[in-house]
Amino acid sequence: MEFLSGLLADAVRELFGFGAELRRILFLTLAVAGIATAIGVLVGVPLGTWLALTRHRLRRTIDVLINAGMGIPPVLAGLLILILLWNDGPLGALDLIFTPVAMVGAQALLAIPIAAGVTAGAIRGLGPAANEQLVALRLTSSRRGFVAAREALPGVIAAVAAAFGRVVSEVGAVLIVGGNIEGETQVLTTAIVQQARQARFDSALALGFVLLIIVALVNVALGRLRSV
Amino acid sequence: MKFTYPADGSQLDCEVDIPTGMRTVVFGPNGAGKSTLLRLLAGTIGANPWEATYLPQTVYHFRGSAGWNLGLGLNAEQAARARHLADRLGVGHLMEATAVSGGERQRFALARTLARSEPWVLLDEPLAALDTQDRMNVARVIVEAIADRSAVIVTHDQDAAVILGQNMVVLIDGAVRQTGPVHDVFAQPADAAVAAAVGLANVLDGIVRVTEGPLCSVASGGSAIWGVGDHDLGDTVRVMFGAETVTMYAGTPPSVGSARNSFIGMVTEVRPVGRFVEVVLDAGIPIVALLTPGSLEALGLKEGVPATAVVKATAVRVVPS
Repeated sequence: MEFLSGLLADAVRELFGFGAELRRILFLTLAVAGIATAIGVLVGVPLGTWLALTRHRLRRTIDVLINAGMGIPPVLAGLLILILLWNDGPLGALDLIFTPVAMVGAQALLAIPIAAGVTAGAIRGLGPAANEQLVALRLTSSRRGFVAAREALPGVIAAVAAAFGRVVSEVGAVLIVGGNIEGETQVLTTAIVQQARQARFDSALALGFVLLIIVALVNVALGRLRSV
Repeated sequence: MKFTYPADGSQLDCEVDIPTGMRTVVFGPNGAGKSTLLRLLAGTIGANPWEATYLPQTVYHFRGSAGWNLGLGLNAEQAARARHLADRLGVGHLMEATAVSGGERQRFALARTLARSEPWVLLDEPLAALDTQDRMNVARVIVEAIADRSAVIVTHDQDAAVILGQNMVVLIDGAVRQTGPVHDVFAQPADAAVAAAVGLANVLDGIVRVTEGPLCSVASGGSAIWGVGDHDLGDTVRVMFGAETVTMYAGTPPSVGSARNSFIGMVTEVRPVGRFVEVVLDAGIPIVALLTPGSLEALGLKEGVPATAVVKATAVRVVPS
């Protein structure tokens, strides 16, 4: 018990004493996860909207792919991006391995299917009357998608929250393509792994608190938007 | 026009004649396939939609103001027309409102649908969700907005059919049972199922005793009834005529003009039916007449009063039973 309470006290002290290093980790975490979420939403929401409204013959196949993508293990996504960016790989010339750009790419790969899948579910959930009305309005397909996504706004915001929650809390992808280089590509989750490995539980716990607070704040903010 | 939906025809398998440049009412009981037919025309199910503007049965109001909903899918000219129609439908002042009632949603959706320019207008129960006193006004706006375009209007409501329709298709269990001018279908239903669907009050069974050109006289319950139908002597038939085709007289009238059928008897029941009243006369056979409350009062008809019911033979349909 004493071990735990002491740990907690040290963690809180760490939290306030972290200084520049914590700020850098925090900034990189938010930047990488934020940009990856933005890409995921910009690609995934239109994709999910299209999927929910289309009668295209490939829609079932794409549905299956997105559902599988929603459950893709982060390490696997990281591995795929790593192979792409490897020296001899198709994008090796870009020299992006162990950079934040590579981390954004890997996390975007995780965010897109989540954003698409949740959006598609929300629009399908609008019900038959809404769907029939959408067709009856004879809108252009992009305008129809806009009206449908607007109507399913709470679901679309849930898609944003789900995508951000997935990428900000994953370790595998950023670890593989980012390399967890201190001061360069270290984010909250990989920093926690490193601190825990060195048995610096107070630091690890402090970072865990920060991660928890970020997730909570973002969800509260999105929840506010949702009830508007 | 032939329709099969789904492919096995389990819901709808019919051939319909829908004239252009007219308002055709598709009439029938719930579950007859009316809405399915309209959806096929509108293209919200199946393929090959018509060039049509379509009001679904369940009006859906998207989040946002009524005005935003009103303008969905319309160009500037159509949007102006929609606002004008909304004014005429009595909801023009609600443009900024986000919470509108069912009847108001119906009007906004109707204004949006009618403001479009497609050559076909498809309306599913356009007068549902409206108060009785507003229906005539809304119906007038609909008729004017359709103008000389072609329209298919689905309803299960007699009033709506009569007000909105020129031509009528009776659909029962996914099959077309009768087609023709609205008045003809109501006055002379093709068979008992159509009669039941259009709400025909007088349906009597009997045997053909006399034939005379297009007419025949049917013996039923000790009375003889003249009606239209090609039958042979001795045939077992069903006689049908609408309660609205019956003229009532208090006591015994001196003359009934050209009418072939007059039934003298006693009023046994007076019952309200919507804004009208039905009077039941026992003349050996029961005769039901539809009257306005005003004529009922003027004639002094009530239970136990002697009266005469008069029906023209041409309003009476004689069909095989």
